[in-house]
Amino acid sequence: MPNQAWEKLKEALKKPPTTEARKEAAEAFKEYERTKKAAGRPSSRPTLVSLGYKKPYPTAVPLEKIADELQRNPAFFEHFREVVEEEG
Amino acid sequence: MLTLPIHDLPTRNASGFLLRYVLPRSLPPQLVGPTDRKFLFSTLTIGDIIIGVGHGAPSVFCGHNDQVILDVYSIPDVRGKVVILISCETAQVLGPELIKAGAASYLGFQKDLTWIVDADLASTPWGDNLAAPVMMPIVDCVNGVLDGKTTEEAFAILIDQFSRNSEVEEDELIRACLNFNKKNALLLGNPEARLRARPKIQLPLPPPPIIAPIFKI
Repeated sequence: MPNQAWEKLKEALKKPPTTEARKEAAEAFKEYERTKKAAGRPSSRPTLVSLGYKKPYPTAVPLEKIADELQRNPAFFEHFREVVEEEG
Repeated sequence: MLTLPIHDLPTRNASGFLLRYVLPRSLPPQLVGPTDRKFLFSTLTIGDIIIGVGHGAPSVFCGHNDQVILDVYSIPDVRGKVVILISCETAQVLGPELIKAGAASYLGFQKDLTWIVDADLASTPWGDNLAAPVMMPIVDCVNGVLDGKTTEEAFAILIDQFSRNSEVEEDELIRACLNFNKKNALLLGNPEARLRARPKIQLPLPPPPIIAPIFKI
């Protein structure tokens, strides 16, 4: 089930970062997080981090806030898309 | 030279892994936390290697509290040195400039170095199992250089471990981070460059928890 939700997220991230696309990606990420938790994957306070300098997005985003950041911030949407599309 | 800022979650996590697994083997100067400053970095030019953790951009590399300690306009004496920057994007401009300035080899990343950490383990990042799949290949690459391997051999360790960890990783997002970092890792300069091998020293116990406050999350 997490895989299906992940694939849905990847598809949502392929679209240009319009308001609608960002909202759709945020919903898809929330669904992915829900299925991961339902599958019992261990988590404590997982946070996506990077070592960028003066980036237009935060360098530490708790996973529970990623959906909000996807919806709010086109630059983060682009960055997250670049990472996610490498999953294979 | 080892520079390890610890002012925010990403720098603390990456520096924590190097504190645990690399610092005991590196020779001074070791600029940890608030001592990781431009003045000290620029004046202490001894040694044959620069290992830096910090925030970065195409032409700058930062130390503690994001003070720019290295940029294309103020490159210290790097002739003959191996430079490893555990940072974002420095492979785009700064890395090639370091090679032009005489560095033997440069190892870094073309885009963001990105990974998942457990924020609950900010004071003991070396125990972070979410971060380990990305951080341990970097640690083993750095230790490969300190073992006297060529930079090409050490770089192969990094790429191989990113690949192997990606193959066995169940979490899709961690796997994506591994593949993204693998794609963006870059070695420049002389691939045959190697250092005098350092003794293999490992701390029998983890370091004490890092108690300095985190200013930015």
